[in-house]
Amino acid sequence: MTTHDTAGSTLINRWQRGVPVYREPLFTPAFLFFGAIAAVGLTISVVRFFSPLGPFSGMSDAYAWGVWKTFNVMTLTALGSGPLALGMAAWVFDRRKLHVVMRTALVSGFLSYATGLIALGFDVGRPWNFYSVMMPWRWNAHSAMLEVAVCMPLYCSVFLAFENVPLVIERFYHTGGERTRKLLRRVSPFLRRIFPIMITGSYVLPLMHQSSLGGLLLLAGAKIHPLWQSPALPFLYVIAACVAGSGFVTCLLLIACLRYSRRLDIDVLGELCSLLSWLCILFLAVRCVDLVWRGQLAAAFAFDKASLLFLLETALILVPAVALRRRSARETPRTVLNMSAVACAGAMLYRFIPTTIMFDPGPMKSYFPALPEVLMTLGYIALGAMGFIFALKYFAVLPAERSEWNCEFGGMRRGTGK
Amino acid sequence: MLTEMPNKTTRTDETIGEHIARAGVSRRDFLMFCTKLMAAAPIGLGLTQHANASQVARETAKARRLPVIWLHFQDCTGCTETLLRTSNPDLGELILHLISLDYHETLMAAAGTAAEDALRTSMTQNAGKYVLVVEGSIPRKDGGIYMKIAGRPAISVLEETAAQAAAVIAIGSCASWGGVASADPNPTGAVGVGAIVTGKPIVNIPGCPPNPYTLLGTVLQYARTGSLPALDAEGRPRFAYDRDIHQHCPRRAHFDAGRFAREFGDEGHRQGWCLYHLGCKGPETHAGCSTRHFNEMPDVWPIGIGAPCIGCTEQKLAFRVPLFHVIPIHDAKPGELYAPVQWPQGKWSAPSAGVAGLAAGALLGAGYAASRKFSKTPGDDSAPGAATGNKAPGAEADNQAEKPE
Amino acid sequence: MSGRITRRQALLGAAGLAAAGAAAGPAEGMEHPAHPEAPPDAVGLLYDNTICTGCKACMPACSEANGLPADTSGSGGLWHMPTDLNSRTKNIIKVYEDPHGGGFAFVKRQCMHCLDPACVTGCPFEALVKGEKGAVTWKASLCIGCRYCEVACPFDVPKFEWDRWNPKIVKCELCYEQRLTKGLQPACTEVCPTGAVIFGKRSDLLATAKARVAASPGKYFEDRVYGEREAGGTQALYLSSVPFESIGLPALDSISIGHYATEVTSVLYKWLAGPIVLAGILGLRIKRNWDRHEAEEHEPEDGPGLPENL
Repeated sequence: MTTHDTAGSTLINRWQRGVPVYREPLFTPAFLFFGAIAAVGLTISVVRFFSPLGPFSGMSDAYAWGVWKTFNVMTLTALGSGPLALGMAAWVFDRRKLHVVMRTALVSGFLSYATGLIALGFDVGRPWNFYSVMMPWRWNAHSAMLEVAVCMPLYCSVFLAFENVPLVIERFYHTGGERTRKLLRRVSPFLRRIFPIMITGSYVLPLMHQSSLGGLLLLAGAKIHPLWQSPALPFLYVIAACVAGSGFVTCLLLIACLRYSRRLDIDVLGELCSLLSWLCILFLAVRCVDLVWRGQLAAAFAFDKASLLFLLETALILVPAVALRRRSARETPRTVLNMSAVACAGAMLYRFIPTTIMFDPGPMKSYFPALPEVLMTLGYIALGAMGFIFALKYFAVLPAERSEWNCEFGGMRRGTGK
Repeated sequence: MLTEMPNKTTRTDETIGEHIARAGVSRRDFLMFCTKLMAAAPIGLGLTQHANASQVARETAKARRLPVIWLHFQDCTGCTETLLRTSNPDLGELILHLISLDYHETLMAAAGTAAEDALRTSMTQNAGKYVLVVEGSIPRKDGGIYMKIAGRPAISVLEETAAQAAAVIAIGSCASWGGVASADPNPTGAVGVGAIVTGKPIVNIPGCPPNPYTLLGTVLQYARTGSLPALDAEGRPRFAYDRDIHQHCPRRAHFDAGRFAREFGDEGHRQGWCLYHLGCKGPETHAGCSTRHFNEMPDVWPIGIGAPCIGCTEQKLAFRVPLFHVIPIHDAKPGELYAPVQWPQGKWSAPSAGVAGLAAGALLGAGYAASRKFSKTPGDDSAPGAATGNKAPGAEADNQAEKPE
Repeated sequence: MSGRITRRQALLGAAGLAAAGAAAGPAEGMEHPAHPEAPPDAVGLLYDNTICTGCKACMPACSEANGLPADTSGSGGLWHMPTDLNSRTKNIIKVYEDPHGGGFAFVKRQCMHCLDPACVTGCPFEALVKGEKGAVTWKASLCIGCRYCEVACPFDVPKFEWDRWNPKIVKCELCYEQRLTKGLQPACTEVCPTGAVIFGKRSDLLATAKARVAASPGKYFEDRVYGEREAGGTQALYLSSVPFESIGLPALDSISIGHYATEVTSVLYKWLAGPIVLAGILGLRIKRNWDRHEAEEHEPEDGPGLPENL
């Protein structure tokens, strides 16, 4: 009963338990719908890989970065910063209740980064030279782009993947044979020994590259509207990532509970919302100080296009910050969902605006994504959605309800194991 | 070319149409002449601003047969020669039918006193109606003794003849501003007509020689309408002199591309490249030679045969600036072949806007629909969806292992 | 033992990070001062649009020297008539016409060869470098086609070959490979018939330009040379009779963009000090919590389990 072989216990990280959504077929209409979009997007991507970039996108020399870089990478990986925000809160600031939702955050984070990196892979024009990333003597240490190119794949493929290993191991443990279990039992102590190092890396690396994503824009200088162009861009980008990440995890949890008719854990939701609201307040505080310091307050209220966009994105973050300070709001499911979604939208908007909408390379220049570009973007997002649905059903991701701690893998379990 | 030379003044009220009918010129020949006139005098000449040769023919036929007196002074007769170098073989006769050339020292059959009598008679009979065409410069130095006709100095002949003329046309650079005779040190004090004659409309048609159709166009317009074409500041018809050689030069592309002949006979010269560095005065020379070549044959003009333009129409250039001296380009006017400072880039795509909008709309819609299923009660931890009555099985009991559906 | 990081492991980890930070040191010792100094052998161009006649001889000369095809798309296959710098045009003459009929002016656009180029600062693998004599050149074997240089350049100079599967970044390199290294001057300056664009050492050109300005006060816009200080200074200098912005030269302040972008990060990331310190601080806290996790290993796991433990 107290051995590691107890069915339902995890070999590596007991605090992050979950249950799979079993007795649900994988190929539901939703899954197939996303599958169709992903198939379209991936097919076009493969064709694009063997063709010039020009016909497949609306990018031009004036707007050299299209939605793949600015949206799939710079904006959607903010949604994937759930592991960063929740992880820091749970492991560093000891908000223990968040451990139960860590797996949801980890899976969604991993998929968000993976699909973002896939998009990046199809966006660069000379990918065959990318092996330079493994040769430090070729690195230009002053370049934010280098930092992103090294750090993001490293984070996703090593650290974030490692953090997702426990739930994979758990499934194989319970559904595999005795030999599998013996192997896993031998491996798991080593994994537990390096676990703290990997977690530390899991927070240092995203802090670095999420801020570097903002740092990319520093070099654009005067092309970015002064309301956004600021030395504080990297810092604000990190905070926005944390806002979007925690908001996204909350939304995912709630949608999953809706979809699979699970009860809510008000305690955890309250914790998540509290985290979210403090992050929003931090964001707004830094933004405010930054604007005042650089003398841009007048521009913020000039009510021209830039000002209106600024007010919109600020409102989208301000409203949750204020609303979620009330305890009763944090415990109301609908409010939690709405406010999390709004905060997500605000953070995404903040990260997206200076890359495209308020990026002005000169008169008479404009950018709008072309149809293949949009289809590829949607394809990657759909791929991520498919991956998430798959993970929910095959691995123990969603937070286990109290009575589920001893649950078995239900119909999926094969072999003995008890 | 010239068969019969009617050397007699004619009735000034007879129209060209009537006259050529009398002379037996075929309509076809006349139409061909009008076609050539249209091509040669394209823009700015009222007479030829018509859609087709028939209309020009009709207009021209209504013109009066204009009496013309042609005086030669210090000339080389090149301007007369150029008038004769027109390829339609009957043009000589037509000219003589379109205008009444009452006095022309090269072409008239008479000589001596008979010629002078013809001049006097025409002047008397057509006083105030004839057009005086002057070829050659007029010497002024030492009382004008360096050129005399019938014992009288050229100045006197000009003053006398111009006094009764309706208009004066100075053909050639010599008559326009002095020409070759006025080159340094200008020993005869040669000047153009404009320096001598005052009080009369003067049209300068400089060139050495000029294109004959410039003269024809001017004369015929005057014959038809009684008005002269619009002139520029130097009295030159705008329709022929408002552009410079450089603007319409067939070798302009080579200039623009930096392909220059550097020496006569070098590779660039053989390839027909720009002659600017050989001293071509094209950029500062106003004339229509780059579009209207001579002898009505393409490329029969100086640049066309690889000789740099000498600027023969311009007083500042011809016979003053050495032939192969490279001139600076002052009036660099940009053409249409330059990129503007800003160029638009990027365009909107309706299909992708549609797809993206659809996706965003679907997301928002689904999100809104989903949020409606969540409870608005604080602390309500029941499975969402129950709010709209879709109670999920197993949502009631806590103890029961709540296996999700 | 279980889960405890030994001091040895921690030290090895930090050493590894520091080594990586050292290997990725600054590109050839290039720092980013706010007001960079030109290298002593810096060469450049001086373009004076009061002398330029717009003959465009520099354009085909450049194409020929660089082996570029003519861009005839705008002229129906006849003339080399690009509408802007692009993947087939490294040098272009543009015309500005005063909308109020006050005349026109030409401008020659090509790479400005900045003293502290933003493109060089941004390029992750040093495909763009500022080499000898200050010419900024591109190397195909290092470029990954991320196009950060296009985003970074305030003059919108680097151009990408959108229509090729093996795309290059195309921009003026002062004819470095084919002429500068052989002691020749760039093709455009050599062919210019009027001397509107001249080549020389940047210091000499700057002196020449200032002498021209001093000799004709009021002739040149704002009586100054563009590129003396813009974006920290460029090696392509401009004298113009019309406002610089009218001919497409943007108004830039004198701080190098690379300096602005790396001001904070160059301190934080020096020898990877920032990340190492952060890792240390976070690591200590995480270790503490992880130790507590491991301590629960031996506790009974029955009943509801987790909530009580939390």
